[in-house]
Amino acid sequence: MIEFDHVTRTYGPRTAVADLSLSIPRGELFALLGPNGAGKTTTIRMLVGLLHPSRGAIRVCGHDLVANARSAHLHIGYVPDEPSLYDKLTGREFLWFIADMFGMPRHQAGIRIEREIEHFELSEFADELAERYSLGMKQRLVFAASLLHDPDVLVLDEPMVGLDPRSVRIVKDLLAARTREGMTVFMSTHTLAMAEEMADRVGIMVRGQLRFLGTLAELREQMALETTTLEQMYLELTAPRGGGP
Amino acid sequence: MSGRAGAAGTLRLLTPEEESRLFLRLGVTLAWETVRAMFMQARLRLGLVVLLSMMFWGSLFGMFLEAFSFLDALHADVTSLLFNAFFSSLMVMLVFSAGILLYGGMYCSAEARLLLTLPIRAEAIYFHKFGEALWFACWGFVLLGSPMLVAYGVVHGASWPYFVLLLPFMVSFVVIPAAVGGICCMTLVAWMTRLRLHAVSIALTVACIALLWLGWTLVSPLRINAMSAAWFERTFARLAVTEQKLLPSWWLSSGLLEAARTERDGRPSMAGVAEAVKFLALLVANAMMLQLAAGWLARAAYRRGFSQLAGEVPASRRRPLGWFDRALMNAGSASGRPLRLLLVKDLRLFRRDISQWSQFVIFFGLMGLYFVNLRSFNYNNAYASMIGFLNLAVVGLILSTFTTRFVYPMISLEGRRFWIIGLLPVHRDQIVWSKFLFSLLGGLAPCCGLVLLSDSMLGIGWPLILQHELCCLVLCMGLSGIAVGLGARMPELRESSPSKIASGFGGTLSLVISSLFIMAVVIVAAIPAHAASVSMFLTARGAAAGAPAAGFLNWAAGPWGTSTFLMAVVALGLAATFVPLFLGIRAFRRLEA
Repeated sequence: MIEFDHVTRTYGPRTAVADLSLSIPRGELFALLGPNGAGKTTTIRMLVGLLHPSRGAIRVCGHDLVANARSAHLHIGYVPDEPSLYDKLTGREFLWFIADMFGMPRHQAGIRIEREIEHFELSEFADELAERYSLGMKQRLVFAASLLHDPDVLVLDEPMVGLDPRSVRIVKDLLAARTREGMTVFMSTHTLAMAEEMADRVGIMVRGQLRFLGTLAELREQMALETTTLEQMYLELTAPRGGGP
Repeated sequence: MSGRAGAAGTLRLLTPEEESRLFLRLGVTLAWETVRAMFMQARLRLGLVVLLSMMFWGSLFGMFLEAFSFLDALHADVTSLLFNAFFSSLMVMLVFSAGILLYGGMYCSAEARLLLTLPIRAEAIYFHKFGEALWFACWGFVLLGSPMLVAYGVVHGASWPYFVLLLPFMVSFVVIPAAVGGICCMTLVAWMTRLRLHAVSIALTVACIALLWLGWTLVSPLRINAMSAAWFERTFARLAVTEQKLLPSWWLSSGLLEAARTERDGRPSMAGVAEAVKFLALLVANAMMLQLAAGWLARAAYRRGFSQLAGEVPASRRRPLGWFDRALMNAGSASGRPLRLLLVKDLRLFRRDISQWSQFVIFFGLMGLYFVNLRSFNYNNAYASMIGFLNLAVVGLILSTFTTRFVYPMISLEGRRFWIIGLLPVHRDQIVWSKFLFSLLGGLAPCCGLVLLSDSMLGIGWPLILQHELCCLVLCMGLSGIAVGLGARMPELRESSPSKIASGFGGTLSLVISSLFIMAVVIVAAIPAHAASVSMFLTARGAAAGAPAAGFLNWAAGPWGTSTFLMAVVALGLAATFVPLFLGIRAFRRLEA
């Protein structure tokens, strides 16, 4: 579903992502972890086509993100770290706009819009202008928009920011259900508890390099530590070391 | 939910026509909601905008009507030169304004980041943002150009085809420089990312120098023999530079002049209309060709440029004025240090926000340029004092736009940082006072300098210069007091955009009160000088010296009258400064963020 093939991205002399090779199969929930500035957001932005790799290629459902961006986007749903909406559109109008952008047939779009409004409990404010929404309301609407076209790949950048506990539960349940049905989720997060609870595999990125890739069990095995929580292993793995690259 | 259909199964890529329709629908919905919100929430502002626009249009129309009547009697060929000069300079400005608007819309907006993750063509996003930029460029052009062109039609007795063709001509013309601006913008970002700032700076500098040179060479001969036949010939020869047949401005000018042609009996000239339609077709064809090229370029370079720009590393910042900040922080008593720290913080924010200081520099720079050239214009010396007061009013009006746009929102913008400011060991009054001092000190030097420059160029004597400087000080104090006081009285702590805060009810009220205050100060201050002029005029005409009006005029022009009116000006200034500040500070003390 998602394939990073020796991907490198540089910002001037600084390498944000170094030679990343990663393959995520259908139906997997993958969590990318790492400290601030590790290269997670750059990886996510390359995965949704906002940034182009300096070297290497990224493919989603077989479509190259640079050469064939439109076809790739047809398979991707994206929830950015900062929800961006049209202030002067209502939530429902925004959902219709997204549905139309994906070329969804009208009757099907109507059904799916109502479905997502119900899932994310948006009905109370779906007909209000987005400029009046709180951060959490905006985030729920963006989630609804990203799932509207039943994407094969859902990309989440810090998805739980601004959500209340009930909304977090809704999102978690929904992600679990969708991955069971075959959707692939690529998620960047600082919420280790969520990664521990939900992720099939985790990747830990430090200074642009993938320092670990595998399941939690494999991580415990690799580190050969008595510690058992992801938090302890994460802190051990990302602790600053003398010298640096 | 039943099993997933999967993206590929039920979805499809939109055709270009579908994308266009979708963006059109989006644009109409957004525009409708914006207008509706303005009607519901900002009627005062909307009313003011409409009223001022109508006044502006009417004034321009009247001025052009007079000018064309004069020129028509003098020499009809002048119109072609004037049209060419006007449209060609407008064309250059449109290239830059459209380029800058498109840069902001395509590379720096949250909307672009959203649209680039959707399965739509890059050129569709370009055309969508181009439409927005064109709208912004177009309404200014229509507001400036339409009174001139309508006045020309009226004076020239043009018939209906001229008026019908006006709008299509203007719109098709605007597309050309706007598309060139878009092409330049995308090319610079995609292939010359690092050169972007330098390239735009150099191009802007060259355009400014060319405009200054043209202006100077046109104005400088006025000193010797203004309005003489020789002057006209020299001026026409210089304006002829703009009459290039390859320029769209020439096609527009020629097309409009042809459309205005009439037969002897006043009926529209069919030959003229046919020529005009040919020129219109030429404009439309070139506009479409450039749009095609821009669309192709967007397909090839937009996503790549966006990615490159996002990866650009900002140059390391130098802090050339760090010494000044340190000196300001450490000067004065310890009890005043929090206020100075707040002042330095605002100063740093101002210096690092290019949109603030660049507008400040441009407007005050243009004003300075006009004042430097005052001697080049032929005016009667008897009017020097009046022109001096008018210039004082203009300086005040420009300052009021800055205090409304940048100073008024300052307290509201602290809203999001209230958790810092509110917890600091700083009295809330000091926050308000620091904004007032920032505005006062920031406005005082450029405004007083400009007034001094204007008066020196007008050859005004020192007593009147000192009066003007006093008025300028009063204006700076009053305008700062109004903006800061009202800003603290009516803060919008939830809003993060300064332009939205300034354009709300409080901002509009601040602008209206500021304008009334400027008018009051300038009118009261000008009474002694005006009385002296009227008194001299009456004396010269041998009017009765003992008339009651003459008595008042002599008193007003004398030292007692002058002192009285100046005291009234100071009283006005103190009221405008301290009443809003008092109200603002009282409200700010009680504010719960």
